[in-house]
Amino acid sequence: MSGYKRKGGYSTRSGGNNANHANNNHPERYKPDEDEGEQFSVDGVPIAAKKQLEDKSCEDEYGAKDYRDQMILKPDHASRPLWVSADGHIFLEAFSPVYKHAHDFLIAIAEPVCRPEFIHEYKLTSYSLYAAVSVGLQTDDIIEYLRRLSKTSIPEGILDFIRICTVSYGKVKLVLKQNRYFVESNHPEVLQKLLKDPVIQNCRLKRSEGEVELLTVTTTKNTTIVPGTKAAEPGDKTEVPNDIFDFYERLENDEEEEPDRETKVVSFEVMQDKIEDIQKRCIELEYPLLAEYDFKNDTHNPDINVDLKPSALLRPYQEKSLRKMFGNGRARSGVIVLPCGAGKSLTGVTACCTVRKRCLVLCNSGVSVEQWKAQFKMWSTADDSMICRFTSEAKDKPVGCGICITTYAMITHTQKRSWEGEQVMQWLKEQEWGIMLLDEVHTIPAKMFRRVLTLVQAHCKLGLTATLVREDDKIADLNFLIGPKIYEANWLELQKAGFIAKVACSEVWCPMTPEFYREYLTAKAAKKLLLFVMNPNKFQICQYLIQYHERRKDKIIVFSDNVFALKHFAEKLRKPFIFGPTSQAERMQILQNFKYNPMVNTIFVSKVADTSFDLPEANVLIQISAHGGSRRQEAQRLGRILRAKKGACNAFFYSLVSQDTMEMHFSRKRQRFLVNQGYSYKVITKLEGLQTEEGILYRSKTEQLRLLSQVMQAGEDEVEIIPGDSGAEARTQRRLGGIGGLSGADMGDVYAEVRKAKDQATRHPLFKRFKGFGR
Amino acid sequence: MTVGIQYRDLISYLRTLESAVLNQLYKHPATCLAIFRRLPPLARQYVIRLLHIRQAVPQAVINSWYDPEAARDHTSSEDALLSLRLWHETTLPGGLPGWQLNPTFQEMLRQALAGGGDPWIVYGELDKDKHGRDTKFLDQYAQERWDCVLHYMVGSEVNSESGISQDAVRILLHSGLMKKEDDSPNSKNLITMEGFQFLLMDTEDQVWYFILQYLSTVETRGVSLVDCLQFIFQLSFLTLGKDYSIKGVSENLLVFLQHLREFGLVYQRKRKSGRFYPTRLAIGLASGLKELQATKDEQGYIIVETNYRVYAYTDSPLQVALLSLFCELLYRFPNLLVAVLTRESVRQALKGGITSNQITHFLKSRSHRVVLEREEGIIPMTVTDQLRLWELERDRFKFGESVLYSQFQTTGDFEMLRNYARDIGVLKYENPQKRFLVVSKSGDAEVRQFWKRHKKDYD
Repeated sequence: MSGYKRKGGYSTRSGGNNANHANNNHPERYKPDEDEGEQFSVDGVPIAAKKQLEDKSCEDEYGAKDYRDQMILKPDHASRPLWVSADGHIFLEAFSPVYKHAHDFLIAIAEPVCRPEFIHEYKLTSYSLYAAVSVGLQTDDIIEYLRRLSKTSIPEGILDFIRICTVSYGKVKLVLKQNRYFVESNHPEVLQKLLKDPVIQNCRLKRSEGEVELLTVTTTKNTTIVPGTKAAEPGDKTEVPNDIFDFYERLENDEEEEPDRETKVVSFEVMQDKIEDIQKRCIELEYPLLAEYDFKNDTHNPDINVDLKPSALLRPYQEKSLRKMFGNGRARSGVIVLPCGAGKSLTGVTACCTVRKRCLVLCNSGVSVEQWKAQFKMWSTADDSMICRFTSEAKDKPVGCGICITTYAMITHTQKRSWEGEQVMQWLKEQEWGIMLLDEVHTIPAKMFRRVLTLVQAHCKLGLTATLVREDDKIADLNFLIGPKIYEANWLELQKAGFIAKVACSEVWCPMTPEFYREYLTAKAAKKLLLFVMNPNKFQICQYLIQYHERRKDKIIVFSDNVFALKHFAEKLRKPFIFGPTSQAERMQILQNFKYNPMVNTIFVSKVADTSFDLPEANVLIQISAHGGSRRQEAQRLGRILRAKKGACNAFFYSLVSQDTMEMHFSRKRQRFLVNQGYSYKVITKLEGLQTEEGILYRSKTEQLRLLSQVMQAGEDEVEIIPGDSGAEARTQRRLGGIGGLSGADMGDVYAEVRKAKDQATRHPLFKRFKGFGR
Repeated sequence: MTVGIQYRDLISYLRTLESAVLNQLYKHPATCLAIFRRLPPLARQYVIRLLHIRQAVPQAVINSWYDPEAARDHTSSEDALLSLRLWHETTLPGGLPGWQLNPTFQEMLRQALAGGGDPWIVYGELDKDKHGRDTKFLDQYAQERWDCVLHYMVGSEVNSESGISQDAVRILLHSGLMKKEDDSPNSKNLITMEGFQFLLMDTEDQVWYFILQYLSTVETRGVSLVDCLQFIFQLSFLTLGKDYSIKGVSENLLVFLQHLREFGLVYQRKRKSGRFYPTRLAIGLASGLKELQATKDEQGYIIVETNYRVYAYTDSPLQVALLSLFCELLYRFPNLLVAVLTRESVRQALKGGITSNQITHFLKSRSHRVVLEREEGIIPMTVTDQLRLWELERDRFKFGESVLYSQFQTTGDFEMLRNYARDIGVLKYENPQKRFLVVSKSGDAEVRQFWKRHKKDYD
């Protein structure tokens, strides 16, 4: 954990730098001593949020949780879609006529656990309830609607849980209006209570001596129409029990467009430099402040001149997610979860065009910086002069531009920067950003995130991701660092509607050859891994699949986490490959070739391509080695081929698994997320045609034995996954890494970018062959 | 590998009977008709064509009746008719081989189809029953009674031992579906592996299996097997929802009737009411019309999802107990059971002798209506595949005959023979410490010869 200590030390220094700054209204966010160890999640999260549901279930004779006594079946249960169990799990009939209503409601108040075709499971958590109140749902409404939707009576414990979790959340907001900060609430008593606290009193800004009354404003809310969307359409009324339907309408209206509704809002002003204090204190008092940005009334920050192009059409789910974000005419901070390929970029671009203030986009690789720029130019009226890239390779002049695209690593980079980089960084810090877009937000460790937030200030933060799961379960922290989850799409439904490709997922079992298996049984862990990845049968199957799909004129990506295997496979099969040390220019070149060159139909990539490598052409994905049991990686990789393809089912995902090895176990774990989203893997134990296919390598025993001896001789270095290549979850196991890694800059290829100069020499000659193909 | 229960359909059951019993059976028109209906289609065709011919017909003639492509059907039909002694081989005057129908069977079948002969044992009651029962009631009654037996087997406490008679318990024990825990007189009865498999069968098959087991015990009670079979066959020709008189039914058969009543095959309001209603179970028993089930308005209640979740809309302790055989149960709600198929739970079931096909069949035949239109099939393909893979993975060992060579005097001897065996590729296993090696059966002769040669040279 020494790395964290150092990092803490550093951030104090950077905080010091910040404090010198005139425009700085975010002093140090956390104290280094709190930062020790891994108790990070404790900080900044209200206590109620850590509440767990107490489960008073009794088990039946089979060990199942038996709630039959606590739940009384309603006489008209058939027309209601839910069971709410006392441990917070909710089961929803997806074939119920009121499914649509129930689904919208549940997605707002609970986390989806699994959503296959017929019965969906959700879970009520304190975080999900926090998210619910922050988008405007009231405690009573939640309980009442849940009651109406449920087939049975609702266990008392659940009702109490909802009350505890929601009673203090979402009541107070921190609003920036005309560059003055106000704490605002619809509940005068709550503000009175807060003001009794001495810390908060200290933070209050009194314009005149002896001002004690709260400011009371009667506002008329008006609607923000997100460009490109239509007003909400009334749902169809078929077969819906009346009480459910009426209530649904009310809820919809509550949180959505509701012109000319008058609300009484009380507020008091806060001193700018005390913002952090008050936020912290409010969390301690169990009234976390919801940050909202009243961008329409912000005259201090200049508008930027971007609009969506008329050709940009939002899909219904994109619309819905943005409606939730801009529900009350202001911009809420939060996270939108959409599957890869479902148009996250367009959603982000639209959000920027709605706010129309200076916009900062953070992504996790240089390649995706380019891709974001392309997205902005495609969907909005922004041109080159407005977009500023800030990466180690490309630094545009920031002057006069409205949209800045950079990487997390650039912002949090702790080593000495070039003079130019220093200038841009300075500029970034000085700006008051209207909206901050955080791409692939799940990949960032909370620590890194806080660092980003101490360095740059934004009124509104929008996180975008496809998979809000992490093996370390730190995802919950994001709720309080960025904001609650605003929307999460259902993969299966998007697939049915044709927005994302229908993928045929297969798990191909590759029997271990006896020689490899014998070694496997006695080898050490690292060697074991190499043995099951390098299994000659796996190689043959991989080669067969590539040849088969190339004949079909498909575009194929082969993923290998293991660099030894990656190089070996690619070199043997004479295909280009990208991994950590590959330079930015070379990557772009290979990707361009893959896109346009009919000769390059297969590329090998390491995990640098897991996220935000936009490869719309690819429709076949073969995975030969993966990162343990990471559910997220599996989903991210599947995402590479989700861009809607023509034809019914033209996307293929193969996961090659060596039989009888640990890989089988990992594979099962990895698939959990997708399986819960309704995907199903077909297990292939035997490939027809493999035996008759021509040119397959490693057929003979001698070849196989030679490969085995190569594998056995492979040095530990080659077995080791290169540092820059390891995912965020791997942090704990790694022992080596530069300062960048220690500061949390260990996602994706970031590290590799920094090391670029060193590694250039290692470029493989094979790339040179493909150099000329670009044009 | 899996030792399952031996399930026999009607025809294969009859094949096991002795010819004297069969001949006795054929003395009854209803029996003949019932058996005729269960014959393979081609065999039925032959019987009908031969029905009015009272002499042998050359085999060549019969062989000309079927399409050459249907040769296999022909063989199986020929075989069925022969093994049931419905026809026998004779030699025609000219020396040609011929087939002749069993005269008793021929006569009785003719009676059954064309009329005449003695009246059947049971006949419709003439006066109206003031406590008349409709089919719905009968179905429910049959289901309840039959479930009692199953409940007893799974030992769900709702229906204690009182629900089923000692006779029924005896049959369960006799058939090996249950066994005594120990030899003490009041020991509990436990379900066996066969019992688990039995539970997963369709109701019709269960009833048939159970009745067969019952029949194998009737003789010991002094009841004639033939009488019982004839009675069962006759039941299958009765109409559901109609009442029948028990006048003229012998004392022995009345006892049998009471047993059938207990299992839900017939309904009697009172023991002495003088009339009875057959239920679907009885009618389906010998008629073999599985389609009867389709008309039953029994609702499917199981949804199997692609993520191995099993949702069952049921609160029946029996169904829950059945699902618990191969699922891990997660939640019980008033009208829903949430369970999941896991490797462990399925392996548990496989160990108990249940096959993956039985599980799939069980889930499929009880599927909720909403999954019937699912494109991937009623049970998702991944799930059926996985069940099969779980079953196969228990059977990964390949057994081959091999020969063990051990007790070498010296390491030199051992190494020399091992090297030879390895060079000709027949070495399976070696242990230099203990000096033994295993060679495949096919290589044994060669290795042995080499060894002899070596010994000779050495000596």
